[in-house]
Amino acid sequence: MPKKLTAPKLPDVAPPARATEQTLAENATDETTRPYVTRDALVAIETEQPLGTPVAPLPEPGIDPRPQETPGTTTPRAISEPAATAVISPAATSENVPVVVEAPTVIEARGLVKRFGHNVAVSDLDLTVRAGSFYGIVGPNGAGKTTTLSMITGLLRPSAGNVTVHGIDVWARPNEAKRVMGVLPDRLRLFDRLTGAQLLYYAGTLRGLDNDTVRSRSADLAVAFGLEDALNRLVADYSAGMTKKIALACAMIHSPRVLVLDEPFESVDPVSAVNVTEILQKYVAAGGTVVLSSHGMDLIQRVCDHVAIIVQGRVLAAGTIDEVRGSKSLEDRFVELAGGRKVAEGMEWLHNFSD
Amino acid sequence: MVAQFFGLKLRLLTNLFRRSPWQVVGLVVGLLYGLGVSITILVALVTLRFVGDPTLIRDSLTVAGSAVALGFLIIPIVVGIDDSMDPRKFAFLGIPNRSLSLGLAGSALIGVPAFALTIVLLGTVVTWSRGIGQTLLALISAALILTTCILLSRVSASLAAFLLSTRRSREFTGLIGVVVLVLISPLVVVLFSTDWGRHGRTLLTALATILGWTPFGAAWAVPGDASTGAWGEAILKLLIALGSTYALWLIWQFVVARMLVSPGHEAAAKQYSGLGWFDRLPHGSVGAIAARTFTYWARDSRYWVSLIMIPIVPIIAILPLSIVGVPLHYLALVPVPLMCIFLGWTMHNDVAYDSTAIWLHVASGTHGLADRIGRILPALVMGIPLIGIGSVISISFYGDWSVLLSMLGVSTGILLAGLGFSSYTSTRFPYPVTKPGDSPFAQPQATETAAGLVQSLTFTGSIIVALPALIFAYLGIVEDPAWHLVALGAGVGLGLVAVVVGIWVGSRAFDRRGPEMLASAQRA
Repeated sequence: MPKKLTAPKLPDVAPPARATEQTLAENATDETTRPYVTRDALVAIETEQPLGTPVAPLPEPGIDPRPQETPGTTTPRAISEPAATAVISPAATSENVPVVVEAPTVIEARGLVKRFGHNVAVSDLDLTVRAGSFYGIVGPNGAGKTTTLSMITGLLRPSAGNVTVHGIDVWARPNEAKRVMGVLPDRLRLFDRLTGAQLLYYAGTLRGLDNDTVRSRSADLAVAFGLEDALNRLVADYSAGMTKKIALACAMIHSPRVLVLDEPFESVDPVSAVNVTEILQKYVAAGGTVVLSSHGMDLIQRVCDHVAIIVQGRVLAAGTIDEVRGSKSLEDRFVELAGGRKVAEGMEWLHNFSD
Repeated sequence: MVAQFFGLKLRLLTNLFRRSPWQVVGLVVGLLYGLGVSITILVALVTLRFVGDPTLIRDSLTVAGSAVALGFLIIPIVVGIDDSMDPRKFAFLGIPNRSLSLGLAGSALIGVPAFALTIVLLGTVVTWSRGIGQTLLALISAALILTTCILLSRVSASLAAFLLSTRRSREFTGLIGVVVLVLISPLVVVLFSTDWGRHGRTLLTALATILGWTPFGAAWAVPGDASTGAWGEAILKLLIALGSTYALWLIWQFVVARMLVSPGHEAAAKQYSGLGWFDRLPHGSVGAIAARTFTYWARDSRYWVSLIMIPIVPIIAILPLSIVGVPLHYLALVPVPLMCIFLGWTMHNDVAYDSTAIWLHVASGTHGLADRIGRILPALVMGIPLIGIGSVISISFYGDWSVLLSMLGVSTGILLAGLGFSSYTSTRFPYPVTKPGDSPFAQPQATETAAGLVQSLTFTGSIIVALPALIFAYLGIVEDPAWHLVALGAGVGLGLVAVVVGIWVGSRAFDRRGPEMLASAQRA
């Protein structure tokens, strides 16, 4: 790999691969949904990188090469409540908005509330995810991301509110709704006394796949996630990243319409993360919908086309990446919404080393 | 430094009281029990100052004391306690090894075992206060015993945490624990059946003489030897005790030093081939869930403990009865129904054993019916040959083949009823169990009051369902053998009704309560 390409930040996905696929595969509607795809393709062509090579990350916020009028021409969408004043509200123009509205809604959460005793983990949360979007959910620790995703996937009963997935009410017709979803929960165990192969077979069979399908898909998934050598070992003996990958494979085995992934890249190594992102991008390009939560702002900004910022159980901003971040980087916008940087005062003693 | 460790340990102990009220109640009951036992022993020891034969007291104390010291050594390894004062937790503080060792060992003085032991040791000082020299020796020995026991428990707890850090070795100790239990049960029987009046004294003296010269018993024997006039032996044993305590202190320092520089390690993983049970059973939800259950029974040590107990329980039940003099003829009828009770009962909290992994069933919308049937199939597959072969063996001991029908009926009824109750309780009332990968003897951190109720409900429930069959079987034995056929019908019929109803109610509960089961697993 040429020296100049060594990424100084987090190792990135290979935009060239994705760009070419998308530019080839996608129709005009998708092009407009992700206006920056073409730009990525241009970047890829300019730098002439081979497929699959990590490239330098997106430009720093200050030197964003995108046309500066972008924030002005887009509209922030569906903010959970009017009181959320922190949201940018530039004047809407008609050209770019309809694209978002046209795609059918796949996940619709209305007025979700979850109380644990006196704690309110999620309060009156609204979320709309449209078909074919790659939706990122970000939020500080304890913001209610996992709680929200659990309520969407039917793992946690909401205190109030309702969720529909692909038009099916998750809490009224759970079994039908669950068939549409592939789920990767965070911090829940797996049946880890099974080998990787057994776990995949188990997950596929519970999802109703027939014997041959589940076997051939298990083999495909193992190759795609680089788990071929680990299939015959107990999942209990896997490293954290491998466990994440086998769980991801289990979430996908029944080719669901929607993938809801809680922290899919946590402790996954950079190379695997690239592979996983690529798999997810192909899935979205083929019409699937991905909702994922992450702490990696770079990653969200790079791979997702939509993002919601959840703070203290509410959606403070949601929309396309560009709508939400405005002229700033997503990270800066997020830190601003999440309460801003804490200025480290009174920590001078830290700079006077004790010995 | 030692004071700070004391403070830390005290804080850790007081934090135990900040849990839920029921846990605090359990803790207080445990503390009061420990206090009660040690004070009873204290009173007994004070009384022994004035009555009794000093030689006998010395021998008894030496044997009992050695057992106590051995307990301090073994219990931390077998139980695998969660060591809040693991030396590795202090590795980043850069404390000199000597003061760290001293602080950690010293902090172990604050705790229920050390506290109880101290009370008992005060009693021994009173027992042997038969002169200035004896009292002085008793005081020194008491201090040595306390130090030795604490160092023993610290060394073994740390070694256990250190050597047993891998998942497989942790489970292995669990199995060792079970084997130890099995080995101990005949020993207990031997102890009870020995004619103590005739041989007891000789045995005790022989044991005490040997143990008195070992590091475990030496310090316990010192004041006794002095009181019976054997001053020379007393001084020699004191030297042994001193030397072994010092050696332990050196070992403890070495262990601390080694642990500070060795993080945990993981053993090489074992390779399996094929899909195992998943290949052998028919494809589909029921087959996959049954295959998963079979696989877990074979691989998860928590299940081993319950499964190994099934053949052990009848042995434990029959031995005392046979010693009391119940004819073997009748005892032959006990094992099979008893094993069926436990086999059915093993499943009564099965969902909780999955821990939070149950999310897979919830998220995939697995039907309750498939889950319920898949889970009890392995128990049925094990139970049917158990009942068939076991009944034939039992009746061949019993002698009257007409009872075979009753035997089959009662056992089948009990097993099916147990599985029926389990199908419902495991979804509706899961209670916390040991987490996957923990030692099977490690206790779950949270206990719910429902646990005891559920346990007794499923246990007695299966017996109640089989009660008609039991009554008919009794009539068959004492009145007319024709009743045996009725017993078979009643047992199998009621058992089938119980298992069908249990599966049906259980599957409805499973379908409705998926998220609640997951929430209960997350709370545990």
